[in-house]
Amino acid sequence: MSLIQIKGTGGEEPISQMISAAMPMRSAGVGKLCGMDVGSTTCKYVLASPEGHIIAQAYERHNTRQAEKVLDFLNRLEVEHGFSPETDRVFFTGSGAGLIAPLVGAKVVQEVVAVAAAVEKLHPSVRFVSEIGGEDMKTIFFNGDGPSKSKQVLMQSACSGGTGTFIEKTARKLEVPLEKLSQMSYLGHTLHKVSSKCGIFAEADANTLLKAGVTVDEIIASLFEAVVYQNLATLTKGNTPQPEILLLGGPNLFFSGLQEAWRHHLQKVWKERKVAIPDDKDPSALIRVPDNALYYAAQGCIEVGLREQAHIGLYKGAKKLRWWIEEGQHEEKKKQGRGGLWADIEELESFRSRYAETPSTKPQPDIAPKPSAQPKVAPGLVGIAPVRGKGLGRVVVGCDFGSTTAKAVCLSPEKEMLFSCYALSKGNPIEDAKLLFRQIREALGDGQMLSLAITGYGKDLLKNILGADCAVVETIAHASAGVHFFPDADCICDVGGVDVKIMILNNGKVTDFRLNSQCSSGNGAFLQGVAERFGIPLSEMADGAFRAQAMPQLSMGCGVFLQSDIVNQQRKGWQAEEILAGLCAILPLNVWIYAGNLNNLTSVGKKYILQGGTHKNLAVVKTQVDFIKSKVPDADIVVHPYSGEAGAIGAALVALDWWERGGRTGFRGFEVVENLSYKTATSVETVCHWCPVNCQRSFIDVELLGGKGRTWSKVPLSEGWERVIVNNSCPKGLVEDLNEMKAIKAEIEKTKNAYPNIADMVRNEGFLRAH
Amino acid sequence: MRIPTLPTWFATKASSAPTKKDRSQVRVGIPKVLNVWSTHQFWVGFLKALGVQPENIIFSSDTSEEQGREHGKGRGTVDCCYPVKCISGHYGELVFGQKKKINVLLSPMLYSIPSVLRGNVVDTLTCTRVMAGPESVKAGFLKERDVFAEQGIKYASPFVSLGDPHCVTDQLYDGLKDVFELDKKETEHAVAAGYAALDAFNAKARGQSRKILEWCAINQKPCILVMARPYHMDTGIGHEIEGELQAHGYPVLWLQYLPGDLDLLNWLFEEDMRIGRCKNPFDINDVWTSSYSSNTNEIMWGAKVAARCPWITCVVRLSSYECGMDQPTFTPAQKIVEATGTLFFKFGDLDSTKPAGSVRIRIETITHYLSKYSEDIIRKKRAYLSDQGPLLEGEWPERPEVEAESPAPQEQQEQVISVV
Repeated sequence: MSLIQIKGTGGEEPISQMISAAMPMRSAGVGKLCGMDVGSTTCKYVLASPEGHIIAQAYERHNTRQAEKVLDFLNRLEVEHGFSPETDRVFFTGSGAGLIAPLVGAKVVQEVVAVAAAVEKLHPSVRFVSEIGGEDMKTIFFNGDGPSKSKQVLMQSACSGGTGTFIEKTARKLEVPLEKLSQMSYLGHTLHKVSSKCGIFAEADANTLLKAGVTVDEIIASLFEAVVYQNLATLTKGNTPQPEILLLGGPNLFFSGLQEAWRHHLQKVWKERKVAIPDDKDPSALIRVPDNALYYAAQGCIEVGLREQAHIGLYKGAKKLRWWIEEGQHEEKKKQGRGGLWADIEELESFRSRYAETPSTKPQPDIAPKPSAQPKVAPGLVGIAPVRGKGLGRVVVGCDFGSTTAKAVCLSPEKEMLFSCYALSKGNPIEDAKLLFRQIREALGDGQMLSLAITGYGKDLLKNILGADCAVVETIAHASAGVHFFPDADCICDVGGVDVKIMILNNGKVTDFRLNSQCSSGNGAFLQGVAERFGIPLSEMADGAFRAQAMPQLSMGCGVFLQSDIVNQQRKGWQAEEILAGLCAILPLNVWIYAGNLNNLTSVGKKYILQGGTHKNLAVVKTQVDFIKSKVPDADIVVHPYSGEAGAIGAALVALDWWERGGRTGFRGFEVVENLSYKTATSVETVCHWCPVNCQRSFIDVELLGGKGRTWSKVPLSEGWERVIVNNSCPKGLVEDLNEMKAIKAEIEKTKNAYPNIADMVRNEGFLRAH
Repeated sequence: MRIPTLPTWFATKASSAPTKKDRSQVRVGIPKVLNVWSTHQFWVGFLKALGVQPENIIFSSDTSEEQGREHGKGRGTVDCCYPVKCISGHYGELVFGQKKKINVLLSPMLYSIPSVLRGNVVDTLTCTRVMAGPESVKAGFLKERDVFAEQGIKYASPFVSLGDPHCVTDQLYDGLKDVFELDKKETEHAVAAGYAALDAFNAKARGQSRKILEWCAINQKPCILVMARPYHMDTGIGHEIEGELQAHGYPVLWLQYLPGDLDLLNWLFEEDMRIGRCKNPFDINDVWTSSYSSNTNEIMWGAKVAARCPWITCVVRLSSYECGMDQPTFTPAQKIVEATGTLFFKFGDLDSTKPAGSVRIRIETITHYLSKYSEDIIRKKRAYLSDQGPLLEGEWPERPEVEAESPAPQEQQEQVISVV
């Protein structure tokens, strides 16, 4: 008969009593045993007598000071329990064990081995364990019984999806304190779709839901749902979790809503897969969360330690650990880290002389191409005055309506840059357009506009209203501007504040395109956010990073883990400037490999153009240049001379091409643009219903000669008016409602019918059963 | 060798007469995955010839995230090939998602497949991972308990070399005799019916492609060739990317169904054959000597055809995430296509998620280049060829003269219908 008395989830006995009862000793040594679990967010220890009876246990957050917390624990053990060097034994487990264990003579026990040892001892009837940690999740399946008992372990630690950090990060964003979070429930709430794949996506989803008026309770319940789904979907690999089930780790213990979600899903799976449940058992009682769920890994260390010979894991005292904390780690920091962003001062100066010229010291050049050299002007031409006195003569105009600013440039037919201006976006594209065209009109004087092309987010909205001749997709605009300056370019890398765009060119045409607007990894906003946290102004970021003589090696990839990595490096003594340098150093990896998924840069080509706001940071340019050159030694890397205006210049070049091919402008005229009258409507009728987010859109109705109106709309519009839709968060919201969608779809179907696709025939007829 | 005597001769004949069982009530589910996308009608013809009623042949629906979530949950494989991984959702749908239960789940392991290039290439094999896909996915349904048996379903996964017709009767007889209580003769008959149905479908699809090319030739309009594997026609795997180009007013061909007519191909490859670059229009030895993989061979052949055919002005390459079979073909296929100035665009690393924002931008990019360059490309590629070619012969009206100058850009733009 088993000595273990297991009760329901509510009334577990303390682990010490259970263990004491459960553990007859096999190879007891002379000293006490300490099992220490050094996790990503907390440290736990369990102290046991030489026979394995539990004497003490403790659990505390280490706030990224793992070594310090371990020292604190060991000091307490020595003082309070007489834990002695050369007599007592210590066994470590957890993500921080590998570094600290050798300093105190401890033996390292692999985490899953430790947890499994404790579970096998305490709960022999358990068939499935889920342990969710701060930055990882593990599942253990036990099969068979007795000597034939085997276990299958599945672990995930590369991504934040489904981990404790995933829950806490989102809860923090929603301003839910941990105490409250632990009480929040899962059952009875409407669930919404929250990405389970990535902590940052989940945070974005939670934000959107909150904006749409979904209650915090429902969002948290959805978060629990996402965690359980992620664990079941990725870590079961075809196995069904069989009863009994044990849920371990902090999140499983503390968040009662998460326990509810597990119970709900596991019971559903059991029902679906007809898993036999003993008649006398309540299914939910077969899913246990022991009160001491946190200590299982530490306890498992003791179980493993008991099987070891008496000299294994002999405690060497805390002296070496103390030395490590006070001195060793700082020395190690330098060894482990890498040098600064430059090898020697000559190299830095040579880099600066090529890439760091200020526009104010140089005359504004024509944009006629100078393919042999990097144009001698750095980015930043916004708002310059006309260079040709009054009037610009004949010009083509390119406008780039972005989400934060609108820019325009005027080129002569000979492709000289005559004028450029910008307007900060006011969220109303009509007002933005008026501001831009007022400036163009003033500069143009009695000159003539030959053609007008627009690009950017607002291009399709404004084309008809302005009478623009071409609406140019952003890739074409950027590629035209890039190829114009550097005809042999193979790649344009645009790193903006919120997205990363990589355009791969072949013979001057964009053949491949990578867009990453979903993951914060590698974008400028992340870098800026860290700099702000350190109180370093943007303009000084590059100089600061260049001052660093050494920098920590940060990990590429997930922004959630990168954030905790930064805190960790800070604790190790790395300074703000050094961390910024480290961030600049991994940015290229995040851009090219993590976000762009381009592992083989040699296949991309040799000539690279860097553009976008983030490349105004010279330290980033340096790391980009070094990174690309490390992959493609003979690469030629240039920063676009008009980084900010590249889109508008490209649009203007397309406009010029159009005019040269015989096009004659349909521009409605400055007078018409200036006098555009419009009315704005924001009401329940303008809410978007394409998805549950229900964006509160605004309709801007513009009075326009020849406007088609929208008589079918819920907000009807008579002829002579055109509608512009704004404040939608995705392109789908540009379609007003089902009526408009039907009209668009009918038009698409008409075209599709006229232009056949062989795949349609295969889809329609390939699987027909009767001919 | 045993010499048949009269009595044994007659005995054999008597016993080999098709003894058709009543299979009118048998319901057969076939997962619509992988190379079933190019062999579909074989299975329809085969099963119908065995007496399975057409309405009792059930193909799973197109791949979708919902299908995977609802029916494949927790039964996934560790395979990194998404088209293989998603099979568990198809199995689940056929096992659990049918109002009227199926009796047989037929998921063939296709070792080789028919190809227009057969005889000119080393072999027409399938990818090993794809061939063995049903085996690895099946494990998720058998690991703990035999889900098929529980549901009263016979699981049948015959190993079939559809590319070698002479092996197929034996293979299907061995693989399915217990499932359908087959005899050899009726299997042979059903295999013949399967090939006939597939050949008829392929001929029709190739005929359609020819019609499209003839229309393009007469109207001097461009069309697009999709270079992909057959399962990219699955809307959950190829995400209908080519459909968005079609909606902009461009007819779309797929390399699997390019016309195989000799009059057309001899015209396109006339110069290559004259200088000895290739022996016949189906010879790909000049560009791909290691020609054992059927779909890969056809991709390389498609690249050659696209490079030569004047009205194919653009090739769109689709490839799934980390496809090891596609990897070595990326650069050569692109170089072949671009050698004659034909446009080439790649959508790589496709998986379960449709990258809608990025696709929209790329579609607009492609249509920009198509409208800007197609006419020049057609003119340039026509100049490589000897005469006006077979597409403009016969009953079609005389070809309009190609305009010396480009049409006004605005007219070109009007052809483009914007898609949301």
